[in-house]
Parts: sequence; C-alpha cells; structure tokens
Amino acid sequence: MRIEVEDLVLRYGDVTALDGITLTLEEGKIYGLLGRNGSGKTSLLSVLAAFRKPTAGRVRIDGQPVFENGRVTSRISLIRDVGETVNIGTGEEALSYAEALRPNWDGEYARSLAELFKIDLKKSVKNMSKGQRSAMGIIVGLASRAPLTMFDEAYLGLDAPARQVFYDQVLADYLAHPRTIIMSTHLIDEVSGLFEEVVIIHKGRVLAHEEKDELLAKGTSVTGPAAAVDAFTAGMTVLGSRSLGPTKSVTVYGELDDARRRKAAESGLELGPVDLQDLFIHLTAEDGAAR
Amino acid sequence: MKFRILLANCLFALLVWAAFWVLVTLITVGLGLTGRLTQSAWEVAAQLPRWYALFFGVSLIHEYLPLYVAHGRTRRQFGVEGALTLILFAPFLAALLVISYQLESVLYGLAGWPHVLERAHMFTEPTQVPLVFTEYLIEALAWSTAGAFMGAAFYRFRGGGLLSIPVGVLLIAFAHSAMGVEPWGPFLLAWLRVLSRVVFDLPDSPLMPLLGTVGVLVVGLLLTWAIIRDMPLRNQAS
Repeated sequence: MRIEVEDLVLRYGDVTALDGITLTLEEGKIYGLLGRNGSGKTSLLSVLAAFRKPTAGRVRIDGQPVFENGRVTSRISLIRDVGETVNIGTGEEALSYAEALRPNWDGEYARSLAELFKIDLKKSVKNMSKGQRSAMGIIVGLASRAPLTMFDEAYLGLDAPARQVFYDQVLADYLAHPRTIIMSTHLIDEVSGLFEEVVIIHKGRVLAHEEKDELLAKGTSVTGPAAAVDAFTAGMTVLGSRSLGPTKSVTVYGELDDARRRKAAESGLELGPVDLQDLFIHLTAEDGAAR
Repeated sequence: MKFRILLANCLFALLVWAAFWVLVTLITVGLGLTGRLTQSAWEVAAQLPRWYALFFGVSLIHEYLPLYVAHGRTRRQFGVEGALTLILFAPFLAALLVISYQLESVLYGLAGWPHVLERAHMFTEPTQVPLVFTEYLIEALAWSTAGAFMGAAFYRFRGGGLLSIPVGVLLIAFAHSAMGVEPWGPFLLAWLRVLSRVVFDLPDSPLMPLLGTVGVLVVGLLLTWAIIRDMPLRNQAS
C-alpha cells in the first residue's frame, strides 16, 4: 500500500509528538523506522493505522484517507507492545478473533508460527511471559497478511534466537506474500539487513528518508593523521570525531565524489563505511541533529 | 463471524452462572436447614448479575474496542456491533435469572420453605416469568449501558472518568424508577440519606418501564458514542 503523509501534526495536550511530517512510502518494500525514544515513531505508526486521529495534516493510503475508513483500515495491521490484538483470553481465543476480523488471515501459518515460537495457545495471554506475549503479537501480525503490516518494537522481551526467528519469518513471508512492511526498532544492527528504505525521525520531524544503501553511502569515516583529517573534512558535515594519539577518526555525512576520494588517498587518509546504527547515533545525537 | 463478542460472552456467562447457581443453592440449603431462610435467596443473589452486566459494559469498551480497532474495524463499525451485542446480551442474562428463580421455586416447594420477596419488584411472585424476565432485562440493559459509558470515560480520560460515575448511577437509578422499584438500593448506598431525597417523579403508566428503558439505552449509548467516536487507542498498556 502506498502511503502519503503531508504536514502531519499530532499533539498530546501541550506536547507536539509529530511536527509537520511529510513523507511518501511506495508500496511493496520493507521500511525501517528509526528514532530515539520519544521521537514520534509510535505516534506516526498509530496515525497510519488509524489508532489516533491526527491533530492536523493529511494521511492517505492508496489515495484514501485512513481515519474511520474501514475499506482502508481492514488492510492495515499495526502490532505494538501494548498488545491490544492479543490480550483477550487464551492464545486460541486471540487467534480466533484475528481469524474473524482479518480478511487475509492464514490460520495454518499462525499455528506453525506458534509452534516455531513454542507458544502454548491454551494459556491465557495475560499470563504469558513478556516474550511470549510479543511472539503472540508477531504471530497475529504476520498471519494477518495485511497489505500494510507494521511492527512497533514488536520484539520486546524476545530472546536473541526468537528474534532471529522473527526476522527470518518476516523476510520469508514478505518474499512469499509481498506487501508493505514498516518496522520500528532500536535494535538497528540486528534488523537493518531487512530494510530497503530507512526513515529516521527526530523530535517529530523526518530527519532522513532514503534507500538504505544510499543513506549508508552518505556516511564515511575518515581516518588518518589529525591535521590531514581536519584539513580534509573542513567545510564538510562532521557527525562525530574520535582521537587516539596523533590519529583521528571523523565521521562525515554527505556523498564523496571521485575527486574527494582521490584527494583523501593522496593525503594518506583511509575512508571507510559507517554502519546504520553508527550513522543513526550520529545523526540523532542532541548536538549533531538536524544536519 | 458476526457477534463473536456476544457468543463468547454468553458462553462465559453461562459458565459463571452455573458456578454461581451451585454456590447460591448451597447457601440456600444451608440457611434452610438451620431455619434462617426467610426470603428468596435469588432476590439477594441477583445483586451479582447486575454488577456482572455493568462490567460486561465496561469490558466492551476497555477490551473489545481496542481489539477491534487494532484489527482494522472502525469505531463506527464497532459501535454498531457493540450496541447490538449489549442489547442482545441483556435478555440472555435476564433468562438466566428467570431460570434461577424457577429452579429456586422448585427447591423451596420441595423443602416447604417460604418463597417470599422482601423488596418491591415488577413481579409479586418469583414464578411470574414474563415480569421477572422484564425486570431483569431492564436492569441488565441499564447496568450494561452505564458500564459501557463509564468504561469509555475511564479508557479515554483515565482519572477524569470518575466524573462519569454519577451519570452512570443516574442512568441506572432512572431505569429502576421507571420500573417502579427502589432506585438507589442496588448501589448499596441506601444509607446515604441525601439520595433518598432525590426522586424521579415519573408518570404512573404501564408504558413507563418501556419508555424509561429505551430512554436510558438511547441516552447512554449516545453518550458512549460521543466519547469513542474519535477515541485514540492508548499507547501504553493500562
């Protein structure tokens, strides 16, 4: 499903959670939604899923407004840590409600996922462990096969092997049933392999929205003698720097053309890639934001 | 599946009722054998189904509305199904109470105990099935509607939901008055003398129970809709 967001504002009383977000997400991709705590990720996803009415601005999915539009919302699934899709009786009952309410529900797949996550569906969901409740949300989110599927920190409480099962299933099911998937996460290194595009929001605004590879190409570490590094990076957007004796390493943001790369080589500087998590940390650092 | 909530709640209520019936019967027999049974035990026990109806209304909004919205239903779609569920669940509860009184009547008859009512009701004998059904139908409708309204207010406004309690109490008390029974007694607040001064001066008409119930239902559901029509789902578990 294609998502168009224009000048989106969401306020909770005096607090502005989303401050004029404009964004277009094409259908059929896996998006990573990154942001620090309180940046507005959950608020954005909640508006996209019609969990909340925006204060101002416009949200259209496949060209139609979302809030209180059943034709659109029936094709959207947002799984949150709150657990509103599963906190109802036993695991079996939670799945039966999903089956009754979700037009594309795949019950067989849901049960295979329950086995994979070792969930006892006869148990009350509220009595399950945090990780098991998260797994229940993931089961409902994946087996709903909604054309727009969103996971908001859906892995909370899952241990590392279970998280890997989740990532593998997201990818496998996406390949088998292509759809638009948005994943909000703090475990960037773990999940970033899935992302095709990345949206970073910071203080309620879009800080970056690019193809993951293009975004990564914009981050470069420049390492070498301190004086040479300072001379090379003068005038560039410096996200962060570290020094060890006479050696300095600086992370810069912005594409380096061939001429710049040649100049770096002539100056004896080493250019290296920056991983997504490092780039995210630098971009959203309080004194380095909004570059 | 349509009316998934109704079916699930009818089944659950049936199980709760069966357990409660056993408990009430055991207490009744105990009191009867010790010579302390002076009235219909279900007249007293009927207090619990009232509160059950209230919390059913609360759960409709607190549990099921977030579930339905999170599964892609609109608030309007849920509002329609929720209202129909509430309206159809009430006769089910009333029927369970009718059965309870009927079984009790058999027990009292066999044991030779006095099957006496101590409070004013629409019925004068526990065996008057249509009137017993009507009274508890009205009660179930009023209590569950008030529960839905208060549940919506607490879900949306959290502590501010406290302000909905007097309104909910008034809805229930009005329905009780429309039936011609004590309006405040069921709240266990009869000791609060100020309440005894608040009376609903309703016309003495046979249509009054029907009109009063419809009025309570319409007003209660409209008030609930006013709260939930654009209600956000909470970001954090309550």
